[in-house]
Amino acid sequence: MQRSDYLIRKLFFAVATLLAVIVFNFFLFRILPGDPVKLIVHSPRMTTESQERIRVNFGLDKPVWFNEEGYQEAGLKGAFDTQFTAYIRNLLKGDLGISFSTRKDVTELLKERVWRTVVLVVLGEFLAIFLGIALGMIAAWRRGTSLDTGILLYGLFTWAMPTFFFGIILLMISGGRFPIGGMVTPGLKPEDGLAYWKDVGWHLILPTLTLTILYLSEYMLIMRSSVVEVLSEDFILTAKAKGMNAFQIFRDHALKNAMLPMVTIIALTLGYTVGGAIQVETVFSWPGIGRLMFDAVQKRDYPVLQGTFLLLAVSVIIANLVADLLYATLDPRVKPD
Amino acid sequence: MKHKLTILLTLMMATVLILSACGGGQEAPEAPAPAEPEAPAEPADAPADEPVTLDVGTTYIWDTANPTFGWYGYTIRYMIYDTLVEEMGISDFQPGLAESWDVSDDGLVWTFKIREGVKFHDGTVCDANAVAWSLNWTLEQDVETFAFYLYNFEEIVALDDTTLQVTLSSPVGNMEYLLMYVWIMPESVWGEMDYDAMMEFEDLSAAIGTGPYILKEWSEGEYLILEANKDYWRTTPVIDQIIYHEYATEDAVVQALLAGEIDVTDTDSIPATAIQTLQDADNVEVPIMGSTTIDELIINSHENGSQPASLWDPAVRLAMAYGIDKQQIVTVAYLGYADALGPVVPASMGDWHNSDIVDIPFDVAAGNKVLDDAGYVDSDGDGIREYSDGSPLEYRFYGTDDSTVARIMEIIADGLEQVGISAPPTLMDEDSLIALYPAFDFDLVYWGWGLDPDPDFAMLIFTCDQREEGGWSDSGYCDETFEEKYVEQGITVDHEARRALIWEMQEQLFNDRPYILLTNAKNIQAYRSDLFTGFGTATGDILWKAALLQGKPAR
Repeated sequence: MQRSDYLIRKLFFAVATLLAVIVFNFFLFRILPGDPVKLIVHSPRMTTESQERIRVNFGLDKPVWFNEEGYQEAGLKGAFDTQFTAYIRNLLKGDLGISFSTRKDVTELLKERVWRTVVLVVLGEFLAIFLGIALGMIAAWRRGTSLDTGILLYGLFTWAMPTFFFGIILLMISGGRFPIGGMVTPGLKPEDGLAYWKDVGWHLILPTLTLTILYLSEYMLIMRSSVVEVLSEDFILTAKAKGMNAFQIFRDHALKNAMLPMVTIIALTLGYTVGGAIQVETVFSWPGIGRLMFDAVQKRDYPVLQGTFLLLAVSVIIANLVADLLYATLDPRVKPD
Repeated sequence: MKHKLTILLTLMMATVLILSACGGGQEAPEAPAPAEPEAPAEPADAPADEPVTLDVGTTYIWDTANPTFGWYGYTIRYMIYDTLVEEMGISDFQPGLAESWDVSDDGLVWTFKIREGVKFHDGTVCDANAVAWSLNWTLEQDVETFAFYLYNFEEIVALDDTTLQVTLSSPVGNMEYLLMYVWIMPESVWGEMDYDAMMEFEDLSAAIGTGPYILKEWSEGEYLILEANKDYWRTTPVIDQIIYHEYATEDAVVQALLAGEIDVTDTDSIPATAIQTLQDADNVEVPIMGSTTIDELIINSHENGSQPASLWDPAVRLAMAYGIDKQQIVTVAYLGYADALGPVVPASMGDWHNSDIVDIPFDVAAGNKVLDDAGYVDSDGDGIREYSDGSPLEYRFYGTDDSTVARIMEIIADGLEQVGISAPPTLMDEDSLIALYPAFDFDLVYWGWGLDPDPDFAMLIFTCDQREEGGWSDSGYCDETFEEKYVEQGITVDHEARRALIWEMQEQLFNDRPYILLTNAKNIQAYRSDLFTGFGTATGDILWKAALLQGKPAR
């Protein structure tokens, strides 16, 4: 099989997964018990007409997936006058529906929130990747020494630490020296230029620190074990026999090979970037996608949940695809069969 | 080796240093002054001419600036809009935009004297004509958030600039309460809009009213800024600016108060476990206030429900009441910040609460005696009594999946077991639980909710019509006498006569027990007493308009 076939096959699987997610995402929120209109109608005194109008506005007046009445009246065309076809039609137009609580377009809500999450998570991930790789290399290079043991212990300790717990501890010991929550001091806007970004940076410190400290352990442990594994390979012995010094071996042979699993793990983790670090965003009240999801769960705002789920699924599918493709490019052993 | 150790120590110290940087790091330009969690920051004295800003911490600001479909952020909306009647304390209604009012003898024609010199935030006049326009518009547009309060308003006219006349289709017993929910909105903003335009209106000008504060800015999920309305008809508010900060969790709100980031917390923003910490902190005042929140054990009382026949026996219901240790629920679940409750209307609602009702005490012996006398015996010795048909007194007992709810349900189940009734708790998702109501497919449910400041709704949910689809009955209770009294209290304008009816209805519910009432929780907030003082506590919420307008800087 050719490389192009491999590409097509991977693309095909990605698209198939996406379609499955889209369908699943629709039915997931419809199989839940209860009438969604009850979630929008907050007062027992609201008239039946008002309730009906809300039902129509949110497209909840139609059957979920098969319109029997419509089928008898207008055949197949009427049969598909349903919530499901409306959902697919709107999705193709980039319309993810209207939030039950804010009545805003879910697409707009996601657009407002996504960059805030990306700023936080990318910064945290970047620092974690950089420090994780560095510490992992040092540990592998000094394998078996007390330094290695120390790094390993540190990695296991921070890896085992629950995110929200660590975040709360940071909040408590910071005692007000850093902002308790939010992204910016009320009143500052992007138009204020440097002052705004300085303030955002100030608000970023605690959540980024939490993300970095907790995420770096995963990179560090994987980096360490893959370097250790590579260092025990025969070609390293050959390199030694050729007279290369330890640094050269490490740089030219061990590192390059050890980076393979790292690429996969980085690509996969970045897939979760837009999903946000729900716990970190919640602990530090960071107004990103994760917070949006947390609030939507609390308010049972199903259209928003549906939108965030879809966004998360799409980014994970894309990241997986990128990882597959990168892997095939980087590692000649990954040959399509 | 020494070198390696140095690197190791450096690395190990790195995290410690980063952590300690948080704890004792250098000052940043915008940061508040350093403070210990126990002792909030002491900001430098503000110069006399600097505007007074109140920072409020909440877990949710609101859903939208448009009040025609916004269901959240009521305390903020009341800062922006006025109503004809205002709530000054729980169930205490006083003049708002209406200075005074009269009602005809038949209870059908209400005449209001509208305050003079009131202006909307955009400068347009708010006289009787504007009020009449607003009320008529509310009805014509069928504004989903408050039109239903005007359900029997037949004609609304301004007789002159200061006189508003309302003709009703039938008398109402709670006019002041109904009007407290109907905001007066300006024609200048809403006059040209049709229904669809109204439902899509997102602009901040949707928040133009006659209230003491003007909406200046709102960033969704982050903050909202209100500025004092210098032309407010009472007096210019002392607090020049209110900033509402949104935090994701209650714990963050508490931390923000202790760190000096906010001056006051919203209601529902203090976990019970944090109360002691706040009370111990210097310069923090923690008012414990009355509320209309009630918790109850619902007993399925629908004749077509799926409950066992024994649950209909008044003796079984009475024995259950004897078997529930409400005081333990208060102590364990509310850490003491609640009162045990007998009748459905709590004491916080003033004279609507039937104070003649003596609650059934927790008395296992008395409960057992009631069941013994009624002939329920435990013939097979398994600890559970049996009904006359031989079936054991075993009930399905549902509640929502929440740790506090679980604890309360355990206390109830333990107590019931002591009188020979088995009701092991089953926890489920709120949606799943609500889905059981229409078919009345349960025996017992633990539930809690908040009453309106008028007792009408608390009675409405026990009426027969509310059992239909879309209704709000959760017990399935339906009784002819109760029904008649409900209708009568609805049209009784005289307060004393209506109060007597409401008392009778509470007594009937207390004896029939579709609900066994458990507790009435306290409202708890906290504020920086070194910075602010004077907030009213009568409404159970120091951020409520009447309460907040009394607040002022402490220095």
